[in-house]
Amino acid sequence: MAKYVIGAAGALLAALVGAWLMLAPFALAYQGSGADWADPTYVDFWTGLPLVVISVIGLILYASGLVEELRRRGIMPRPYATPAGQPQEAPGNQGANATGSENNMEQILLPLLTAMLKDMQERDRERDGAHAGTPNNVQQTRSAGEEGSVRR
Amino acid sequence: MAPQARIGLITTVIAFFAGIWLFLAPFIVEYQKVGQDWIDATKNDLWTGGALIAISALTLILFAAFALHDAVRAAERKSAETEE
Repeated sequence: MAKYVIGAAGALLAALVGAWLMLAPFALAYQGSGADWADPTYVDFWTGLPLVVISVIGLILYASGLVEELRRRGIMPRPYATPAGQPQEAPGNQGANATGSENNMEQILLPLLTAMLKDMQERDRERDGAHAGTPNNVQQTRSAGEEGSVRR
Repeated sequence: MAPQARIGLITTVIAFFAGIWLFLAPFIVEYQKVGQDWIDATKNDLWTGGALIAISALTLILFAAFALHDAVRAAERKSAETEE
């Protein structure tokens, strides 16, 4: 983990050096303002600009490596964490991605389906209870119960 | 090592070579004549180039050292698990 911090610190310092290089000709006044750029100004500016860009890219990459490492160690939570009951997939296991996403979908839908099932069973039970007192409707209740409900 | 870190290392190597370029630029571009007193631009480029070389080299060395340290610890942990 420390290696990413060192890399990021080095990239940050290199970016600052690049920014200094872009400003130095004017800060040290070896480039007069308004005058045509001299050779040292061209060299410093066109070395400093790519250096800033490359170092910022490096800084972002080292930082993302650090974040990845923190997530791998469980210090930082993943943005799309898997449910607690489901085992986490290995990072290199690309082949099982399709199956993994199906499992995720099942995990998401399972509580919804369970709740729907429970609701339907409760409604059936209530209907059975309401019609139990009226003997004329026994046949109707049974047929209504068989129509759209799920029984265990 | 994360793939991002590998590309990050490449950017550090590029910064190292940029430092070498800065160090040599006054004499290659010939705005500093050999044997004459150094002008401000030369002094700035030499100091900045030197600093950039030092920063990049130190980053690379420390990164390699910590990466090796992590690899050794991982290998030790693996061997301990297999022994159990």
